[in-house]
Amino acid sequence: MLRNDATHFGLVSRLIHWAMAALILSLLVLGTQLKTMQPGLANLWLYGLHKSLGLTALVLVAVRLVWHRISPPPAPIGPPRAWENRLAKAVHRLTYALLILIPLAGWAYASATGLDILFANRWVIPPIAPVSEAWENAAHLAHSVLTKILMGVLALHVLGALRRGIEGDGTLDRMIGG
Amino acid sequence: MTLLKKLTPILGLLLMAQTALAAPQRYHLQTDLSSVGFETDFGPDKITGTMPIRTADLTLDFAHVAASKVTVTLDAAGSQASFPFAAQAMRGPKVLNTAEFPEISFVSTSVVPQDQGATVAGNITIRGVTQPASFHAEIWRQQGTVAGDLSHLTIRLTGAVLRSQFGAVGWSDMVGDEVRLDILARIERAN
Ligand code: HEM
Repeated sequence: MLRNDATHFGLVSRLIHWAMAALILSLLVLGTQLKTMQPGLANLWLYGLHKSLGLTALVLVAVRLVWHRISPPPAPIGPPRAWENRLAKAVHRLTYALLILIPLAGWAYASATGLDILFANRWVIPPIAPVSEAWENAAHLAHSVLTKILMGVLALHVLGALRRGIEGDGTLDRMIGG
Repeated sequence: MTLLKKLTPILGLLLMAQTALAAPQRYHLQTDLSSVGFETDFGPDKITGTMPIRTADLTLDFAHVAASKVTVTLDAAGSQASFPFAAQAMRGPKVLNTAEFPEISFVSTSVVPQDQGATVAGNITIRGVTQPASFHAEIWRQQGTVAGDLSHLTIRLTGAVLRSQFGAVGWSDMVGDEVRLDILARIERAN
């Protein structure tokens, strides 16, 4: 029930998947909002919220990777060499890579500004980059470019999942209902 | 400032006292009673804060106001702001870089009487960059002193600097360039 088996996703994997989906979607919207809004005292807290949610996403990716070692996910439905499954595998790998690199870039960017990073407005998170404008610009650029790539990759992921959902091959169902 | 409003500007009084005090007088800062307030724009809001005054050395010549001199150093590293990130950002390398330049200093080059006070022009050094700046000065007798007693004075210097002129350009997309300063120094005549 909690664990994955040869054909089904267990509750833990499904919860992590959907929690991350909600989190990543919120982060993409919130991040874009940060980029476009005029900062002031009234919306300064949104930066803190984005950083806390982003770090949570990083932790969840780690938990997910560890969990999949403990309880491997089921193999894809359909022939493994079918182009859909090969593309799906590439998209999943790229998504994992982006979901590690993006929060790390955000964290490095925030560190390089020299301002404290607070988790949940409370705990100071140690910096992972020196206070430097070069680091700040590079990490900011990486965060910005990688999130655009993530948007494209996630669009593919969602389209693929919906296609399987419409075709009714059971892939979407087992991520929703196990 | 309400306290100040209650105090009578004493420049006129000082001028009346000029016969009594013909020689330039040296004054020292009463550190604990003095501070610098600053304000800048942050989007639709303002960031305000304070900076301790480290030293102030004033020679006031009430007979020839133009012969007066003012030297002030501020403790930039000890600055406080209206929210924690602002103080940290301000002290950080992109703005005041207080790790390298812990002080801000001002040395007057001319004092010109004007209205109720004077215009004090001079050079201000921020982040190791020196630029001309001028402040409006008003001077009062401190509360509790009797008329004609010039041993304890309150001097208020107001003016503004453009931080970009000193290379303090961090966060310029969100924080204003003009920093308005309001220096309130309480001074005591040296014996
Ligand atoms: C999976 C996690 C994350 C996602 C999906 C994400 C997404 C985004 C996006 C889409 C933007 C707008 C980028 C742009 O258009 O230039 C953004 C901006 C930003 N992100 Fe993240 N982010 C994540 C994690 C983090 C973390 C962990 C931090 C810091 C600890 C962070 C700090 C920032 C900051 C400060 C901005 C504002 C940049 C600006 O004002 O231009 N992000 N994020």
